[in-house]
Amino acid sequence: MSGTELLSDQGLRIDGRKPNELRRIRCSLGIFAQADGSAYLEQGNTKVLAAVYGPHEIRGSKSKALHDKAFVNCQYSTATFSMGERKRRPRGDRKSTEMSTHLEETFAAAIRTELYPRSQIDIFVEVLQADGGNYTTCVNAAMMALVDAGVPLKDTVVSCTASLVKDTPLVDVNHVEQSGGSPELVVSILPHSGEIVYMSLTQRFHIDHLSKVLDTAIKGCKDIGVILKEIMKGHLTKLDTSLQAS
Amino acid sequence: MSIAPQLLRGPSLMAEILLSEAEKAFIHHGDDLRCDGRTRLDYRPIILETGLVSNASGSSRLRLANSDVLVGVKVELASPLSEKPLEGRLEFFVDCSANATPEFEGRGGEDLANEICRFLQMSYMSGDTINLSELSVLAGQQCWVLYVDILILECGGNLYDTVSLAVKSALYTTQIPSIKVATMDGDQPELELSEDPYDTKRLNTQNVPCLVTLMKIGNHYLVDPTPEEECCSSSGVVVAVSGSKKITAVRKIGSGSLHPESLVSMLKTASEVGAVVNKILMKKLLEEETAGKTQKVGFMR
Amino acid sequence: MDMLTSKIFLRKTKRGKVLKVVREHYLRDDLWCGSDLCKKCNQENSEVLDDAPLSSSTLCACPHYVVVDTNVVLHQIDVLESPAWKNVIVLQTVLEETRKRSTNNFKKLKEIMATRKDNFYVFVNEHHKDTYVERNPGESANDRNDRAIRKACSWYQTHLEESQQGRDKKKKIQIILLTQDFKNREQALKEGIPAYKVDEYVKSLKDFPDLQEKLAASHSEDNAENREPLFPEHWAPTRIMTGIKSGKLLQGIFHCSRENFLEGSVSVEGQDKSILLQGHASLNRAVDGDIVAVELLPEDKWTSPSGIVLEDQEDQDPGDQIEKEEALLSNSAKGKDRQPTGKVVGIIRRKWRQYCGILLPSVLAEGTRHLFVPAERKIPKIRIETRQAATLSSQKIIVAIDSWPRTSRYPLGHFVRALGNIGDKDTENEVLLLEHDVPHHSFPETVLACLPSMPWTISQEEVKRREDLRNLDICSVDPPGCTDIDDALHFRELSPNLYEIGVHIADVSHFVRPDTALDKEAANRGTTVYLVDRRIDMVPELLSSNLCSLRPDQERLAFSVIWEVTPNAEIKKTRFTKSVIRSRRAFTYAEAQCSIDDPLQQNELAKSLRGLNKLAKIMKKNRMDKGALQLSSPEIRFEVSTETNDPIDVISKPMLDTNSMVEEFMLLANISVAEHIFKHFPECAVLRRHPVPPESNFEPFLKAGKTQGFTLDVSSNKALAASLDAAVKPDNVYMNTMLRILATRCMMQAVYFSSGTVAPVDFYHYGLAAPIILISHLPFAGLYADLLVHRLLAVAIGADVTYADLLDRKCVQQLCNNLNYRHKMSQYAQRSSVALHTHLFFRHRVQDEDAYVLSVRQNALQVLIPKYGLEGSIYLKEKDEDSKPAFIYNPDVPSQTCGNITIRTFDRIVVQVSLDSKYVQHQKIAVHLVQPQIAGLSVEAIKTVNDSEPIPKKLKAGK
Repeated sequence: MSGTELLSDQGLRIDGRKPNELRRIRCSLGIFAQADGSAYLEQGNTKVLAAVYGPHEIRGSKSKALHDKAFVNCQYSTATFSMGERKRRPRGDRKSTEMSTHLEETFAAAIRTELYPRSQIDIFVEVLQADGGNYTTCVNAAMMALVDAGVPLKDTVVSCTASLVKDTPLVDVNHVEQSGGSPELVVSILPHSGEIVYMSLTQRFHIDHLSKVLDTAIKGCKDIGVILKEIMKGHLTKLDTSLQAS
Repeated sequence: MSIAPQLLRGPSLMAEILLSEAEKAFIHHGDDLRCDGRTRLDYRPIILETGLVSNASGSSRLRLANSDVLVGVKVELASPLSEKPLEGRLEFFVDCSANATPEFEGRGGEDLANEICRFLQMSYMSGDTINLSELSVLAGQQCWVLYVDILILECGGNLYDTVSLAVKSALYTTQIPSIKVATMDGDQPELELSEDPYDTKRLNTQNVPCLVTLMKIGNHYLVDPTPEEECCSSSGVVVAVSGSKKITAVRKIGSGSLHPESLVSMLKTASEVGAVVNKILMKKLLEEETAGKTQKVGFMR
Repeated sequence: MDMLTSKIFLRKTKRGKVLKVVREHYLRDDLWCGSDLCKKCNQENSEVLDDAPLSSSTLCACPHYVVVDTNVVLHQIDVLESPAWKNVIVLQTVLEETRKRSTNNFKKLKEIMATRKDNFYVFVNEHHKDTYVERNPGESANDRNDRAIRKACSWYQTHLEESQQGRDKKKKIQIILLTQDFKNREQALKEGIPAYKVDEYVKSLKDFPDLQEKLAASHSEDNAENREPLFPEHWAPTRIMTGIKSGKLLQGIFHCSRENFLEGSVSVEGQDKSILLQGHASLNRAVDGDIVAVELLPEDKWTSPSGIVLEDQEDQDPGDQIEKEEALLSNSAKGKDRQPTGKVVGIIRRKWRQYCGILLPSVLAEGTRHLFVPAERKIPKIRIETRQAATLSSQKIIVAIDSWPRTSRYPLGHFVRALGNIGDKDTENEVLLLEHDVPHHSFPETVLACLPSMPWTISQEEVKRREDLRNLDICSVDPPGCTDIDDALHFRELSPNLYEIGVHIADVSHFVRPDTALDKEAANRGTTVYLVDRRIDMVPELLSSNLCSLRPDQERLAFSVIWEVTPNAEIKKTRFTKSVIRSRRAFTYAEAQCSIDDPLQQNELAKSLRGLNKLAKIMKKNRMDKGALQLSSPEIRFEVSTETNDPIDVISKPMLDTNSMVEEFMLLANISVAEHIFKHFPECAVLRRHPVPPESNFEPFLKAGKTQGFTLDVSSNKALAASLDAAVKPDNVYMNTMLRILATRCMMQAVYFSSGTVAPVDFYHYGLAAPIILISHLPFAGLYADLLVHRLLAVAIGADVTYADLLDRKCVQQLCNNLNYRHKMSQYAQRSSVALHTHLFFRHRVQDEDAYVLSVRQNALQVLIPKYGLEGSIYLKEKDEDSKPAFIYNPDVPSQTCGNITIRTFDRIVVQVSLDSKYVQHQKIAVHLVQPQIAGLSVEAIKTVNDSEPIPKKLKAGK
């Protein structure tokens, strides 16, 4: 019985949430003037900025161009001050590169790339503060930035994590829960079709638990999707009224 | 229409700026009135917020028009440099986020970042900017290192000034934990961290310099240039000015040349402007502090 | 969930980095108060706190709920166990503080709350939007927590007030804070919260007058400050931590010597030699099991264990003074055997538990302070306060230690409960079960509900799933009176050069399904404990003695291992299967032996047994050739009277061929199964290993061999086995057995482990020298480890599905750790049970017996009486006795010489065994020398025992 108890007998997690509760989500769109689309998203203490440029001409080597669809280019970067311990460099390490690739795959699946052959869409995410679920927050922020940029999507993409403690699945795990050695399942889905576009699992648990943990993560995705949709709607109404006013 | 000359690497990296001849003429030959209605020695409004990065010891986000900089200061214990056993130190790191422009992707922003970083280091080198001996914990063995990490989120002209103001603000809010040195029976000294999170000390940032960029356009020079103005200038100076008007570092920038007389005059002006900017910043910081623990707005507008 | 705040604190990492940690902290509005009368919270669960509580307290007559402060949980946990407590609110603040400060008390508190769910309510005040308090600048963490507790109290007050409007003022429920902290109480009173000291409240409970005895001793009133301290001060924790970090101090577990209460040792992790401690000041209030910080003495002050056998024989509380210990220790042999010696400078963690023992009443009849003598010799006597001394003095009682101030000769404690009369077998059994932490409560309803309903038959589907082996001539061989037959064997000739043998194990895993209440209970119990007169089952009796007992002529489910072997015992094929069997007969070892030996018996079973026996002998020889050890420990059995259940005779267990035959096949089954599951689950197979003992373990053994002129080789198990075989003396047949006994004591405990946690190099089984060196324990259904093995094997052969925890290396290792602990404890309990019965046996007897000298000490001889497996000391010199003859001690041999008689290790002597009843409460076996005759020491041989039954006299004088 050492260390912290991730789930109390009273059914609360360390931060006071119930197992099925998400962290607080806050989001704002269009925060940069120069980018074509941008978003800031907070899930609890995990804070991410995302910017979208494009679709535009292929930058640099033209060989990257795809004749039938747009080339999606992503960069995952982490501010050096974002974690408890200072990071030495913001990107270029293996983990960031891997995350960038995952983002590219995910969004290539979600964006209607066929509408923009031979062009490029840039998605840049910057983790300002990391407190667990960094990748999922990035996916969600990037999705919001794409919406802000008006890039046509097949479906929104939402991502969420889930873990397992004392046989109880926890949704949207934070850093303490994640570093406590419990497994972390990351899932990104297209909420309309319900399809999974990304999934990864760290640590391990028995396959018997998989379905309930996966269900929890998917439920988390859907809950996040609902919240983000409200935020989008709010943003658009605001834009609409300001347009009308002018 | 012409494409601006490659003057300052930063702005030029942004989406190309297109200026008409008339616009250029106005920037070059206009009176003491600029496109946005400022006089030559006016700054654009500064928007400042501190304490946004809660897991850093000090932080600030500063916007000067469209230039947007986020600074986080983390304090760490380390061994002091052998040549300065009684002092702590500051380490600067600048990262140009690709959010600002796709050109910065990967290592694209590194040159600009290094340039800014080096100049910051230089301007803080002078002995009276910050009392580094305050950062010593245990002579010759342990000291505080302040990692000042600067993240450039958007470039809207005048990066040097923006960065320096943000850095000063972040340092102003930086809280250094209290640490007790317990020595027992001649054993290795043990550092004991104060159990009270409120038990921290602050740096004296009174003399920390701000950078003032003066751009020479035509026969005049102006401060806080917009990207358009930067396009029209071929040279200028960046001057580090402390609160007491002292100049701690100077660097000429741009591909053009400057007459010694105009350089002297520019330095003089820079020191005057620097003092004012410092004062304005300090006032803003005080306001921030007394406003207390109201909900941070941050990126939520 | 409607509010959010964050907790910010600084943390220093192990590498010395300072981190600023920020954690989210959500405040909720859906946490209920738990009161029955509340109309504001919409709580669904049955409310814990009564609508109209009755007050038993004279201090606070109005109805009230009690909020306890952390210090009450930390210091008065035993009091909280009482049923007197009702309507108690436990705040989350208190829970968390307790967890941080004392794992033990935290566990206990959780147990109390679990068993008394209807009386204890946990209020999660830290996450409630109205009761969360933020730490203020300059406020200590402690003060902040106190404030949080008071805030919760006053919140309850106002919260309940709203639902109680219109109630009679006298009937209004109050919130009462119980605390031991003066400052917190003052502050609470100031804020209008009724607050009491916990002891004053407990004393005011008129319905529970005895409860106050359980209050932890508070020694403030004792004006202890004025007295001269007897012990050196303990260092402050930070000083200790720095000391350990710098290597100046060592951290280890303190073990008190069994033979000398003023001596102990500290085993430091990673160090071969333990650190010796001598004398009160060096032991410095460490109690056996504590984790302590030791400072080594300069090397010139190092010494060696004193060799004296010393018991704290004070029959009366000597007051707070320390006897002159120099006399007791001074003549400890200084010389080549010096070992690192040190002193305790601080206690890192107390491992105090509750102790069984007896009360030593004070001479003052009306006195309330008494001395308590724990049953465990390694635990010091404890001072307690009680008014019930008269009744308790004839009983076994449980006492807990509260503190051990510097000024006190003994630790201070309090009475917890009484177990029953001293000498009563039930009481004594209870004592030994408690002392060895053997869970022995009857199985709860939830567990019994998991059992199959009776009458039980094997369903047709079940038969189809299994291999039908009912046609085989299977039999079991067990000790007489065995009701839990868990293994059976068969043998048949397939062709003249190929035999089939099978081991069939009761399929417990069929009945105990994972994750059921039954499974959890079994996992906790870990093993079946066999005491002399009773068995503490791991699973309910219906399983252990019926459904999972392979009774003759009954169809049973089994797990079978079937080999094809050549007549040279070479294994050709191994397979595993779940099966249905019907045993033909349940043999005892002796019956089986008869069948083998009697040439007239030519039935199938007898033939099978012969075949098995032949193969077993070959296999054993092969194993011995590889270096397996044949060790020895005296095993005895009590013949128990059917009427009184008292022991009437002692028989040492005979070793027949059939014993080792069964053993051999079980071992074979083990190895086969272990190989198989390890192949399938390299990460999480449950195995058993017997670590190679460190060289230093063998020292006493080597020394003993030397006295007899043998050079023993302990470089490998094979060498050891060979040199043990060679060490034979024609004139002292028992000597070899003695050596084997000593060798056994040098061995390490065999342990269970999960294969993923240990490097394969360490899989060695030292004692058994098994060729593949992997041993899992399959045969005995009485071990939970076997259950795990069954399950793994079932999965490996596709007969069952896996489940989550089975394949989790960490979970399995946790289970294994518990099993190892339970297994060790069960063995100790077994030993104690034998000792208890030996006592009972000698209650009305005095007997002369053959004995052998196990070791020669400075003031005593340690002897072993093989007939009873009993060890005792013959004191040659006692502290204030000059009457005894002068012995000359030669520590190098070692030997004791008196006149022309010299006694050495392994010498045969004759002793008189009796029960020393000098102290009625504290009986012990007394051993006196009969032969060789030494005037002034030896006693007269008795010709007859009380029963006037002649004892065989075949004694020869020792040399």
